[in-house]
This record gives sequence, C-alpha cells and structure tokens, in this order.
Amino acid sequence: MAGARLSRRKIAAYFADELIAGRSVVKPLAAYLVETKRTREATLVLRDIETALADRGILLADVSTSRALAADTEKMITDYLKNTTGATDVHIRPHVDPYLLGGVRIDTPNERLDTTLRHRLNQLTASKI
Amino acid sequence: MDVVTQFAAAEGAAGGDIFTTLGINWQLLIFQIIAFLILVWALGKFVYPWLMKSVDERQAKIEESVKAAEEAEKKAESAQEDIAELLKEARVEAKDIVTTAKNEAVAMVADAEEKAKKRAEKIVADAHEQLEKDVIAARKTLHNDTIALVALATEKVVGKTVSESIDKKIIAAAVQERA
Repeated sequence: MAGARLSRRKIAAYFADELIAGRSVVKPLAAYLVETKRTREATLVLRDIETALADRGILLADVSTSRALAADTEKMITDYLKNTTGATDVHIRPHVDPYLLGGVRIDTPNERLDTTLRHRLNQLTASKI
Repeated sequence: MDVVTQFAAAEGAAGGDIFTTLGINWQLLIFQIIAFLILVWALGKFVYPWLMKSVDERQAKIEESVKAAEEAEKKAESAQEDIAELLKEARVEAKDIVTTAKNEAVAMVADAEEKAKKRAEKIVADAHEQLEKDVIAARKTLHNDTIALVALATEKVVGKTVSESIDKKIIAAAVQERA
C-alpha cells in the first residue's frame, strides 16, 4: 500500500471490501493516510468508502429529524431505502435537529431526500420575487 | 397848305433862307445828325449787343426755368403716379404679409397644440407606465412580505404544534410519497 500514489476510488474500494470481510479498517486507513500524507483527504475517502459500500449493497444513511426516531419510523425508512436503492443492508445514522421542525432528511452517498418542514419553509422563502 | 406856301413864298421873296426862316441852324443840324448817328452807332456797337445778350440770357434762363418747372411738374406728376403705384404695391405687399403672418400664426398655434397634445399624451403614458411599475413593485413587495410573514408564522406555529404523532405521520407520508 505504501508504493505508488493510489486514487481515492481504489482506496475506498479496498477498505470497503475489508469492511465487508469483517475486518477493522479504522487503524489501517488512518495509518495509510498518515504515511502517505493524505490526512486532508480523510473526509473524502470516508465518503468514497460509503459510496463503494453502497455499490456493494450496503447503504449508510444519515437520517435527520426534529425528534428522536421511533423504532417503527426507523424501520419504515430502512424498508424505503432498501426498496428504492436495492441495498441489501441499510445502516441508519440518526441525527436529531429541532431546527428541522418536522419531517425527515435522508442523506445517502448518492442522493438526498429532504422532506423536512424547515426545507419547505426555506423553499417558500426562496420563492420571493 | 396855301397859307404855308404863301408864307414860304413871302419869306423867299423877302431874301431869306428857309432854314433861317424856320429858325433852324443847318450847321448845328448836321452836327446833331452826325452826333446822333455816332450815338446810334455806339449804342449798336457796344450797348445793344450787351443788352440783347443779357436779354437773351435772361430769356434763356426764363425758358430754362419754365422748362425745368414743366419737367418738375411732369416729374411731380410722375412721382405722384409712382407714389400711388408704390402705395398700391405696398398695400398689396402688406396684405400679403398680414395674410402670411396670419397663416404662420395659425400654423404655429396648430403646431404648438399638436406638440402640447403629444407631450400630454407622453406624460399620461409615462404616468401609466410608472404606475404599472409601482403596482408591480408593490405586488412584489406584498408577495415577498406575505411569504416572509407566512414562513415566520408557520415556523412559530409548527414549532409548537407538531407533536410526535404528527411528525411520524409527516415522515410516513413523505416516505410513502417517494416510494
């Protein structure tokens, strides 16, 4: 791994496969980025890993709501994501943000679904002439 | 006549000259005749020509004056005619000038009226345009203010009224709508 400079896509694919194989990737990834002096790309690499995982059927979704997610709501969102993306495994990272007022915002590596009331209010405000 | 002849015959018979009888001195008479002839000659030579010349000059001057007076009279008559003609022409010209001035005044008034009418129409059109712009701007302002007010009111109301159950319904509706 310490040879020629690898592209982020290849790095992400490698660590995604490692994760699917059940191996820990936090320390090796951190060590690699430090060794190759690419620590500034850490966020981008993580995003690429999530994208690579999504391509392999494992979806990581950031779900933001104004209140804590109820179990049935979380299940409904999980089912929704499986149906719409074809993912076999969906992992939800819940975030609570009262500023959103209501509704849900789902961020996946490939798209964003924002049905929050805050977003609709912002759209209404943005419709000013 | 017989008396005179008898008187002359008597005197001749008495031995006397007729000139003596008549009391005439023939020598003095001849002298007087010569003096008279000399006087006539001198007058004819020196006085009459000068006098005649003066008279002729005077006559010529008088004739010239008369002629000049006649010419002046003719000129005066001609001048009168010219003046009359000039007055006539002047009247005609003045009439033309007045007519032209009247026409120009009418044209100027009509032109001024036309310009004033166009200006008034432009002012009205500009006012309409400005009014429409103001109305549009007011509508925009009202629209934006309404949106801002609605957004603010909605935020305030929704923040207090959206319960957990309502939130779940909102999420479910959104997910089902997208599914």
